[in-house]
Amino acid sequence: MGCGRVGSTLARSLERREHDVAIIDLNPDAFRRLGHSFSGTTVTGLGFDRDVLRRADIEKAGAFAAVSSGDNSNIISARVAREQFGIANVVARIYDPRRAEVYQRLGIPTVATVTWAANQIVRRILPRDAEPLWRDPSGTVRADQITAPTRWVGHTVKSMQDRTGARVAFITRLGSGMIPLGDTVVQEGDLINLFLLEDQEEAVTAALADGPEEQS
Amino acid sequence: MRVAIAGAGAVGRSVAQELLDNGHQILLIDKDPKAIKSEMVPDAEWLLADACEMSSLEEAELGRCHVVIAATGDDKANLVVSLLAKTEYAVPRTVARVNHPSNEWMFNEAWGVDVLVSTPRLMSALVEEAVTVGDLVRLFTFRQSNANLVELTLPDDSPYVGQRVAEVPWPVDVALVAILRDGGINTPDSDRSLEAGDELLFVAAEVQEDEIAALLSPIAHPHR
Repeated sequence: MGCGRVGSTLARSLERREHDVAIIDLNPDAFRRLGHSFSGTTVTGLGFDRDVLRRADIEKAGAFAAVSSGDNSNIISARVAREQFGIANVVARIYDPRRAEVYQRLGIPTVATVTWAANQIVRRILPRDAEPLWRDPSGTVRADQITAPTRWVGHTVKSMQDRTGARVAFITRLGSGMIPLGDTVVQEGDLINLFLLEDQEEAVTAALADGPEEQS
Repeated sequence: MRVAIAGAGAVGRSVAQELLDNGHQILLIDKDPKAIKSEMVPDAEWLLADACEMSSLEEAELGRCHVVIAATGDDKANLVVSLLAKTEYAVPRTVARVNHPSNEWMFNEAWGVDVLVSTPRLMSALVEEAVTVGDLVRLFTFRQSNANLVELTLPDDSPYVGQRVAEVPWPVDVALVAILRDGGINTPDSDRSLEAGDELLFVAAEVQEDEIAALLSPIAHPHR
C-alpha cells in the first residue's frame, strides 16, 4: 500500500525476486514510478478500504506492506490486513518514532524510518555518542558499531576483547562482513560491531580510546 | 470532568461549548493553526498539536482525562486518537466521530472506541423514525453492552392494539422504556394499554430486535 519512492522500489525489488506483487495507491499517477517493465497489479483506491484490498487479491497474499506517506493510513491498513484478512506477515512504515513503539508493542511490526535515518546520520557524524545499533529487550546488553580506533589498528580482536570487556560480533571490512577469530588483526577502516553491557558503556568507551595496555 | 476533544472544527467546538455549559473542563486540540479560534470558546484550554502524536497527548495530559472525544473530520485520525487514548493513557471513555459511513465498521473496541457517533447514520435513523410504521428503527447503540435503543410505531393491524402492557409476552432482554403518544411521554406501567400509532421505545439486545418486530407487527414481519 503506497506507491511512493519506498513502495515502488519495494514492488520492483519483490518482483525481481519473482514474487507476485499488487500495489495500491490513491493516486493512479503514482504507478508511473514503477516503470514499463512492472508486470504486477495496480489498484487505485484507499488502502484500508476492504473492497480495494480485495481487488488487490489480499485474500491470497503472503505478506502486506503499508508504506504510504501517512502514518495513520499505514497503521490502519496494516491492522485491517492482519485482522480482517488474516495476513500474518504485515509491516507498517511509521514516521513518528513514539507511535512506532506503541504499534510495535501492539503487535504490528513497524519500520521507524525517522529514528533509523537520524541514528544512521548521528553514527556517521559522532561515532562515539551514537545510540546503540541494538539493545536487548531487558536493556542490559547493547550492540554498537565503531570505526576501528587508530590505537587498535594492528592489534588482535582478542586483545581488544580482553582489555574492554566487550565482545566483537563481526567486522565490516572493505564493504563485506566477516566473523573475526581471536587472532584476527584490526585494520584501518574496519567497522567493528561489538556487544557490551549497558552499565559498562563508559568503561568500554574509555578502554577503546586508551588503546592496548602496553601503550598506555 | 476533564474532557479532551481532538478536532476544533464546528463539531468539536459545539461539543466543547455544550460540555462547558454543563460545568466540565475542556481541552480542545487541533493541528491546524487556522483552527485555533480560542476566542470562539474562550473558557476551554486550547492546544495547537497533532492529536495523533504521542508527544502532543503527553502535553495534553491525556491520562488525567475522563473522556476523550475524537471529533476530527478525518476518520483515520479519529481511530488513532481513540486507540492511543485507550491503550496508552487508559482513558475510561472514548467517543469517536464517524465521517464516512463506509468506515463505521472499524469504530469498535479493536480501535479503543467505546461510543461512536455517525452523523449520516443518525440522520437516516431520525428520518426513518419519523416516517416508518411497524418497522423497527435503531436510534442509538450502547457500544459496550450490545444493546440498542430502538423504536417501533405500533401499526393498526398489530394484535396488541388495545392490550395492556402486562399482557404482551415481551421477549427476554427487551425493556420497554417509554410510550410516546400525542406528543407526551407515558411510562410503560403494566396497566397502560397500547394504541395504534403509539411510538414504543425499547432498550433491546441486538439479537432480539427481530422478535420485537415479529411480535408487534406480525403481518409485515412473519416469524421465520
